[in-house]
Amino acid sequence: MTLTTKRYIVAGLSFLFLASLLLVAYQESKMKRVEKKEEAIVTSVNKGCVDCHSKDSPALVMEWKYSRHARVGIGCLECHGAKKEEIDAWLHEGEYISSLVTPRDCAKCHVKEYEQFSTSHHARAGEILASLDNVLAEKVAGTPTNKADAVNGCWQCHGSIIKFKRDKDGKILRTGQENKPVIDPTTWPNSGVGRLNPDGSKGSCHACHSRHSFQAKLSRSPENCGKCHMGPDHPQIEIYKESKHGIAFYANRDRMALDKSGDWVLGKDYSAAPTCATCHIGSYMTPKGEKVENSHDVGQRISWTLRPIISSRLNLVIYEDGFKEDYPETRKLPQIGDEVITTEKVVENEKLISKKVPRKVEKIITWQERRQNMKGVCLNCHNDTFVDNFYKQFDSLVELYNEKFAKPAKKFMDDLKADGVLNPKSPFEKKVQWVFWELWHHEGRRARHGASMMGPDYTHWHGMYEVSKHFYQEFLPAVIEAAAETSPALGRKYRNRVAKLLQQDEHLWLKGLTPEEARALQKMYKERYNE
Amino acid sequence: MTPENSPSKKSFSQKFAELFPFDWELLRHAGSEPVPYHLKKWWFCLGGTVLYLFIIQVITGIALTFYYVPTPAFAYQSVAHITNEVRFGWYIRSLHRWSSIFMIIAVFLHLLRVFFTGAYRHPRQLNWMIGFLLLGITLVFGFTGYSLIYEQLSFWGATVASNLAEAVPLIGHWLGYFLRGGPEVGENTLTRFFILHIGVLPTFAFLLISLHILLIRLHGVTELRFEGEVIPEEERHFRFWPDHATTEIMIGVLLMYLLTILALIFPASLGEPANPNVTPVHIKPEWYFYFNYRMLKLTSLKLSVLLTLALGGIAFFWPFIEEWLARKFKIDDRVPVALGTVAFLVFLVFTVWESFSH
Repeated sequence: MTLTTKRYIVAGLSFLFLASLLLVAYQESKMKRVEKKEEAIVTSVNKGCVDCHSKDSPALVMEWKYSRHARVGIGCLECHGAKKEEIDAWLHEGEYISSLVTPRDCAKCHVKEYEQFSTSHHARAGEILASLDNVLAEKVAGTPTNKADAVNGCWQCHGSIIKFKRDKDGKILRTGQENKPVIDPTTWPNSGVGRLNPDGSKGSCHACHSRHSFQAKLSRSPENCGKCHMGPDHPQIEIYKESKHGIAFYANRDRMALDKSGDWVLGKDYSAAPTCATCHIGSYMTPKGEKVENSHDVGQRISWTLRPIISSRLNLVIYEDGFKEDYPETRKLPQIGDEVITTEKVVENEKLISKKVPRKVEKIITWQERRQNMKGVCLNCHNDTFVDNFYKQFDSLVELYNEKFAKPAKKFMDDLKADGVLNPKSPFEKKVQWVFWELWHHEGRRARHGASMMGPDYTHWHGMYEVSKHFYQEFLPAVIEAAAETSPALGRKYRNRVAKLLQQDEHLWLKGLTPEEARALQKMYKERYNE
Repeated sequence: MTPENSPSKKSFSQKFAELFPFDWELLRHAGSEPVPYHLKKWWFCLGGTVLYLFIIQVITGIALTFYYVPTPAFAYQSVAHITNEVRFGWYIRSLHRWSSIFMIIAVFLHLLRVFFTGAYRHPRQLNWMIGFLLLGITLVFGFTGYSLIYEQLSFWGATVASNLAEAVPLIGHWLGYFLRGGPEVGENTLTRFFILHIGVLPTFAFLLISLHILLIRLHGVTELRFEGEVIPEEERHFRFWPDHATTEIMIGVLLMYLLTILALIFPASLGEPANPNVTPVHIKPEWYFYFNYRMLKLTSLKLSVLLTLALGGIAFFWPFIEEWLARKFKIDDRVPVALGTVAFLVFLVFTVWESFSH
């Protein structure tokens, strides 16, 4: 072979090499362009919306474009589209739409999530609208014509009953050229997790999955839950921040794979820390290497209820139609197959009413099984002795609170009502009622929640310390005071009752420490602080 | 001490010659190496081009090292700092990136030229092998350098590569662990890649390049005579200094222009920061590993690594294999040309193929 031939071969190959490199570079840049393009697919039905709203509300459209919805072509009308006959629909630029997006709209695609959520505690958060909390916001803090405290406070977490402005015949008022129905401004905007929607659905998905970007990392972040689970009566986010779990999370946020698409499995996708979602609804690995699926039914792993005056372990009864009822362990459980008259709260004529519905029991999940579900999460990081002993510590705190303070206090309150000292129709008339309210609803919950999530300071200083101090210094004197106000005889009766209670072993400390204990105390302060 | 021997009486050059007793004639002799006529054509100067690009890499690399921090927490940030804040940082980084790509291209072209013109044959077999080792070093340079950026793709590229290393027979497990500095890509990996990139590889590259040039000098450049080319005998060779050196400088200046233009139009970019928890949708190595990556996808991890080792081994020992084949089967030079053409075409097809797969 001649050198010239070889030269041509080298030249040819070099040329092909260059051409290949250019082709590779072209492909690379094309791929990058395609990836970028994938960020938002504006389908023809949504083009009109996007064109106008890019000017009217540009940030909103930008957020949608950033979402995973946008990348698969799920746009405005897929969620906001409505049928003409729907109560909240109006004709806007040629399409029937609704401002409200309810879980039923999301269920067009997310069926499983809708079903799980609809029977959950979260979906029923709006049912608290008939509670002492609401009396405080609507009556105590409000006026007959102004419920602003409930509107801006309670309802923004628990959810409102969405209502419309109506004329005297009850017909919905409409406004503008497009006949837009007028929503009662006290009920919307509202993203409460238990919102009661005009279509009969309960809740709002965007309570956790903020519109319009719907980022997974938002709903997986503790702050998301902290919008509502915080404050003096249920400071879960504060407790979480105090706990080792929270410390690990905030230090390792970048290792939490919070933005991962699809599954988010503890023990597979992340390990640094559990968030609220991890323990209560998240997917996790089992020792057999199997994956436990996540669920939008929050509460499946909760074995105690820490909310009422006296805590109780909770069994769960599931009926054939999916309806669920918590049964405190003190309530007798039905048998599978039994027909039970259940109480369901529904909205009729924009009012929340109770309905009695007969239902057949399909399944019972005991509190032990619920606890086992939670332990499955714990075991991803801790061994069984650790987990079992944690539950022993937690149980003992709840029992201490129940037995030493909650039960005696409740007994006093019940008896005061029976003796006519307290008016059951006026829950916040006397000092003792306020003190009692804060004792269990604020301080008692803080102590119990603190122990449940390993927050030592909330268990003690914000919790049991406050419970103890107010029980002895505020509540018991207020009981006697309320009774004495009614009659001297009742005053004497309750003074004796209180004195008798304080004779019990757990209250004897009031009479003073033993000489050894007192000496030890003095010694410690002398040695430590020279006091 | 006699007056004529006293240091004060001596000229500066005399004094220097005593302090540094080097025979400068040797250098002159080395510089006056007769260069064959064909090297007047620039496409035969690709070896020198590689050297020139290597020098650019060394200089820009040292500059980058002033600011780069080889820890997972700060690597990406420091590259971003170099790119966005340090004066001329983006330019130095872009030069480093583009000249690395050019260097790899030039190495491949140099290898093509040497292979197809048979310049590896006796007595230059050893230099072919050194050259082949330098090709390997260049590729590892590219890979380790890319990984140092610590962006998503480079991080996952490093993860895939360390898995590849794991599949090497016998020593794979040890090699993978050694490269990563642990069971997973992490803090130790970055430090190790950094040390390899700025310490170990440059040292070996420097030694091998010196040896490569020394052998060229000892053997002389292979003289290529084209058919029908009428060149008077006295013009068959020309001087290295200054004639050939001028050609190389011209190439250097042109390359600098080209690199600067590319740095301006396509500056080195920065992707998402590395996130060990999120696997990107498309994991791809740099283009020069597409061949291996395609092979991996077509076969298996283990087999692709074995094939790479086998093909590398054949190429490395090719001068001897060819001699053996020539003795045994009386083949002429059409066989290696055909084999080389097919091999390179397969390399190109696999590279392009991989670029089309997502």
